[in-house]
Amino acid sequence: MSRDTTKRPAFEPASELAQAGPRDPRMRRPVPTTMGAALVLLRVLAGIAWLIALAAQWNDLIAEQFVEVPIDPDDPAVSAALWFVLAFGGVLLLFDLVMAVLISLGFNWPRIVVMVFSTLSISGTFAAWWAGDQNIALDQTLFTLALDILIMLALSSRAARDYARRNDRRLARATASA
Amino acid sequence: MGGAGAEGNGATVEPARRRRFSFNAMLDGFFFVFAGLASLWLAYLLLSESFAFGWWGIVVFLAFWLVLAYLVLPRIHRILTTIYVPDYFMGRTRTSDGLLGDPVNLALLGDDAQLLATMDAAKWTRADDVTLRSSWRIVMSTITRRSYDEAPVSPLFLFGRTQDYAFQQEVEGNPAKRHHVRFWRCPDGWLLPGGARVDWLAAGTFDRAVGLSLFTLQITHKIDADTDVERDHIIATLGAADPAVAVTVLKDFSSGYHSRNGGGDTIRTDGDLPVIDLREVGVTDAAGAGEPAEASVTGGAPTAASVIGGAP
Repeated sequence: MSRDTTKRPAFEPASELAQAGPRDPRMRRPVPTTMGAALVLLRVLAGIAWLIALAAQWNDLIAEQFVEVPIDPDDPAVSAALWFVLAFGGVLLLFDLVMAVLISLGFNWPRIVVMVFSTLSISGTFAAWWAGDQNIALDQTLFTLALDILIMLALSSRAARDYARRNDRRLARATASA
Repeated sequence: MGGAGAEGNGATVEPARRRRFSFNAMLDGFFFVFAGLASLWLAYLLLSESFAFGWWGIVVFLAFWLVLAYLVLPRIHRILTTIYVPDYFMGRTRTSDGLLGDPVNLALLGDDAQLLATMDAAKWTRADDVTLRSSWRIVMSTITRRSYDEAPVSPLFLFGRTQDYAFQQEVEGNPAKRHHVRFWRCPDGWLLPGGARVDWLAAGTFDRAVGLSLFTLQITHKIDADTDVERDHIIATLGAADPAVAVTVLKDFSSGYHSRNGGGDTIRTDGDLPVIDLREVGVTDAAGAGEPAEASVTGGAPTAASVIGGAP
C-alpha cells in the first residue's frame, strides 16, 4: 500500500479539468493580446474618423433633424452642441485608448471592461438586427460590428486570459501548492 | 482503486478542490462562449453580404472563409470538445482546438540529452517555434517549393501542454512533404495504462501534402494514413544512428483502430507501441552496444511486455 503513494494513476484527475494553465509571471505577450489591443486602437481611429465626418456634416445634419423649425446655422448653440458631442466622444475614445495601452501591458481589468462594453454593443446591434430595425450592410455598421466581435474573440482567448492573469496571486498559490 | 488513489493523492489534489467558485472564471467562460456565438453571426453576415456584391463578393467570401476557418470553427470546436472529449490519456494527442490529433505511437526511455543527441545523430532537424516569421516562411517556401528544413510544426497537446520537442526530416526539398515527430516528457511517476513506466511519449506522422482541414477548413498538412510506416521509420533511423538504442514493443497497446486526426485525415494503426530505450546511449558510447538480446526490433511480444512492465 505504501508503494502506491509513489505511483500516480495513469489518468488525469477530474480536478485537473477545472484548473487553468500554470501561472507563469515571465510569460511573453501572446499574439491574441497584441491583436486585441491593436483592434481596440483601430476602433479608436475609426471613432476619430467618425467624429471628423460628423463635424464636417454637422450643419446639414442639424438642418435635416429640424425641418419644421428652421435653425440658423450661425446660432452659437449649434456649434456649442457640436463641441459638446465632440468632447463627449473624445473622452470616450481617450478612455478606449488608455484601455488599449493597459491591455497590451497585460492588465486584466481593462480587458474585462472592454469585453463588457463590446458584449453590450454586439447584443444591442443583434437585437436591432433581429427585430428588423437595422440593416447591416457592408459599410460602417458591419465594420464596427466586426471590430467588436474580433476584439471579443482576441481578448477572450485562452492565451490572452492566461497572460492577463499571469500575476494572479490566488491562482499562483493554487499552482504552486498543486 | 479510486478510494486508494484518493487517499494517496489527498495532499496534492486537495488545494485544487478547495478552490471555490470563481466569478472571474465564470465571466471568462461566458465571454469565451459569447465571442464564439457572435463570430458565428459575423460569418453569417459576411456570407449573406458576399452574394450582394457581384464580383467583389468573392473578396467578401474570402473574408467569410478566413473568419470561419480561423476564428469561428476553432472557437466552436474548443467549446464543444471541452464538453465531449475526456481529458485523460487515451493514446491520442489533441489539437489546440481540442480535437483528437495524431496518435501517440512511440514511447522512449532516457533523458533530455540522450534524446537530443540520438535524434541529431539520426539526422533529424529540430523544428522552429511557431512565430509570425517562421509561419510566413513556411507559407512562402511551400508556395515557391523551396526547401525549409527547420519548418515549424503545429502545436499538439498531451498532458495538457504542447510538445517539448519537435523534429522533422524534409523529403525531396519540398516543405509540403516531411517526416515529423513530436515528443512530450511524461509527468513524474506517470504510468502508461497497463503500468509500464516511460519517460517520453511521441507522435510521429508523415506529412504528404498541403490541403484543407476537414474540421476547421484551415490550410494544413495532410498526413499519410498508415502511421505505422512513419513509426517504424523513426525506430529504424534511431537504431541505425546508435547501436546502443534498444527497442521493445508493447504489443496491441491500443487495439488497432481506424480514425481521423485533427485535420480529418484517416489514420490506421496496428496498435503496437514500441518503447525505444535510449538509457544506454552516450553512457557506454558506441562501444557498449547494449545487450543484443534486448534489441529485438518489433520482436517477441510476451518477453518485451514483461521487460517493461516489471513493476508488480
